Amino acid sequence: MSDSNLSRRAFLRTVSDSARRSLLVLSVPSLLMAGQQARAAQNDARGFVALNPNEAAEFEAIAARIMPSDETPGAREAGVIYFMDNVLDNENAETLPSLRKGLSDLQAVANTRFGSSLLNTLSDTSLDTLLREIEESSFFATMRYLTMAGMFASPNKGGNRNRTGWQVVGFEGNHAWAPPFGHYDAEYMETGE
Amino acid sequence: MAQAEFSPSEEVDFVVVGSGAAGGIVARELAMAGLSVVVLEQGPYLQLADYTHEEWDVNENEEMVWGPKKGHPQTFRRYEHETAQLMDRAVLSYAHNVGGSSHHFSGNFWRFHPIDFMERSVLGEIQGSTFTDWPIRYEELEPYYTKVDWEIGMSGLQGPWDPPRSRDYPCPPMPVKSSGVLLERAAKKLGWTAYPEPHAILSQPFNGRPGCIHCGFCQGFACEVGAKSSTAVAMIPQALESGNCDLRTMCTVARVETNANGRVSEVVYWDEAGVTHSQKAKAVVLCANGAETPRLLFLSESSRFPDGLANGSGLVGKNLMFNGSTSTAGMFEHPINAYKSVPTTRVIHDFYSIDPSHGFYGGGGIDARHLSRGLPMAFGMQNSRFTGASWGSEFKNKLAREFTHSCSFNGHSTSLPLLSNNVTLDPLIKDRWGRPALRTTFMNHPDDIATMQFFVDRSEELMEAVGARNVTSRFAADGQTGGAHLLGTCRMGDDPDFSVVDRYNRAHEVPNLFMVDGSSLVTGGRGQPTMTIMALAFRAADNMISAARRGEI
Repeated sequence: MSDSNLSRRAFLRTVSDSARRSLLVLSVPSLLMAGQQARAAQNDARGFVALNPNEAAEFEAIAARIMPSDETPGAREAGVIYFMDNVLDNENAETLPSLRKGLSDLQAVANTRFGSSLLNTLSDTSLDTLLREIEESSFFATMRYLTMAGMFASPNKGGNRNRTGWQVVGFEGNHAWAPPFGHYDAEYMETGE
Repeated sequence: MAQAEFSPSEEVDFVVVGSGAAGGIVARELAMAGLSVVVLEQGPYLQLADYTHEEWDVNENEEMVWGPKKGHPQTFRRYEHETAQLMDRAVLSYAHNVGGSSHHFSGNFWRFHPIDFMERSVLGEIQGSTFTDWPIRYEELEPYYTKVDWEIGMSGLQGPWDPPRSRDYPCPPMPVKSSGVLLERAAKKLGWTAYPEPHAILSQPFNGRPGCIHCGFCQGFACEVGAKSSTAVAMIPQALESGNCDLRTMCTVARVETNANGRVSEVVYWDEAGVTHSQKAKAVVLCANGAETPRLLFLSESSRFPDGLANGSGLVGKNLMFNGSTSTAGMFEHPINAYKSVPTTRVIHDFYSIDPSHGFYGGGGIDARHLSRGLPMAFGMQNSRFTGASWGSEFKNKLAREFTHSCSFNGHSTSLPLLSNNVTLDPLIKDRWGRPALRTTFMNHPDDIATMQFFVDRSEELMEAVGARNVTSRFAADGQTGGAHLLGTCRMGDDPDFSVVDRYNRAHEVPNLFMVDGSSLVTGGRGQPTMTIMALAFRAADNMISAARRGEI
């Protein structure tokens, strides 16, 4: 037992040493973040490219039910639609035709069921009802995929404005840390176990 | 000194294909010994400033891995009678850049134990598997493990958990995270030992490189400060500095040519613009990884080697092993923030070898990690591990708590070598160069599955012991469908009928051809093979240098 106690003490010593040293190198990532925020500001001023404004309003209405605005911000506040517009103009461009088809199919159902083909005019409850019915569809899977991507990609990509998405899940995008990292290792630093 | 520049028509001592975990070491060792080396690397030489934490690009769009979206399709099937299907993402996953996958790995460096090299002798035959002893023993590799510790750069705490070691780690272990504390507390309750994870990541400045800043983006990302000990930062700069190494990036090898004497003579490759070149060499070292090395041997067939270069044994591409993996998630009362710092800080090796009385072969280790490798987008995209909801307010609010308050105890385990698990050339699908795509055929041996179930059971006991709530487990109970540890496809051995390379990684049939990467591993270890790949690379390079000096290349 005395052996393991010795190594425990040696280990605790190294923990606090490396914690001190790691504080020396914090400057580089903060510069990177400054650049990202500058670019996100440019995106704000830009209109939509891949989507027309009507489509954008419809896709945003769906994204806002997938990640709703309630006690915490959701897809609207995060600007998910700007991310979608960006990637649908670029790396995900081939997805756009099928997304448009999926949207018009859903709008047709909305018109029959609720007398309006504009999803963004429906109540949250009505839109949720429609979405629950197509949960298994590839259209919904793609919308969910792009919503998550737009919530959590860096602000550089057009969404996750002011790091809204990251704040919602408690991810602090500092890109450099020093211990303690969480509750239990803070305890460990105090008590050694 | 500056990087060397050789002419393709000039016969250099060695061409090294690939600059990853093994290739970076082989190139550096040969060049520093004064031998002339050309390294052909199909990816770019990214510098520290090129790296980002952009999850969308790096993880979701496989910016470093180059899957199908980058013109590198791969196909997969379970069994040889099936037609392999084109997959959305890379089946065999590896980074395309100088440093190879050592650039995007997590740096968990477990030495193999003495048992790994002679397990067949101890346990006997395993039905359906080509399980066999290595031609070398741990003692022969130990000096090279120590070389990896000190020349690549490792952090850790030596102790009774280590296999015999001749020297301490150069850097102290990484600071423990909450996930590691929980694993350690759980292990203690059950009478097991959780010890500090050994890392190929510097906990403090060493060898002119800085210590880790705990950003949390290890797995799948390159290190922006160079604290992760990839060969791109630990080896390649020294190779270039020697003045004997010509590193040619964005160069894709088409085939290795054989001369009338049955020796390899030159390496044909395309540069970035698609122009074909051919580099003459006295010897060739394939360090292209367990997927690309066998593919290149198949592509280098000739009348003398109709089934692929150096494939008289018929074992090129066969015995593919991935290592098993499992994940057991649990929720905790307080913030864990497992997304910060290195993926894992404690590991349990009490079940390195599962007692054969359980009725199956296997063994491995358990560590503690974040549920989505610390990545918020990946966390959102997967359905909640703890609830059925996958969208809406309930989902969003649970996600918020789960990201910071959960962690996963993960099993990493043995894979048995099987002839029916292999890499071959796809007969239908071609890559952007017109080469047949990699086709993977894979279904685990039942003992691999039983071993993963065993680690799920132990992980659930650990979660319970430390008071986790909502415990839930995941693993590939129906068989794995891909991996990043690409092992066994050019097995090492003494008998040319049952192996592809000899104990010094030299092809049995071609005296001036070497294969040095995951492909030479006879067994797959317990889940973290890269340190052994690196130790074998140092050892093989030592022997290549001696052979070259004796005029035997």
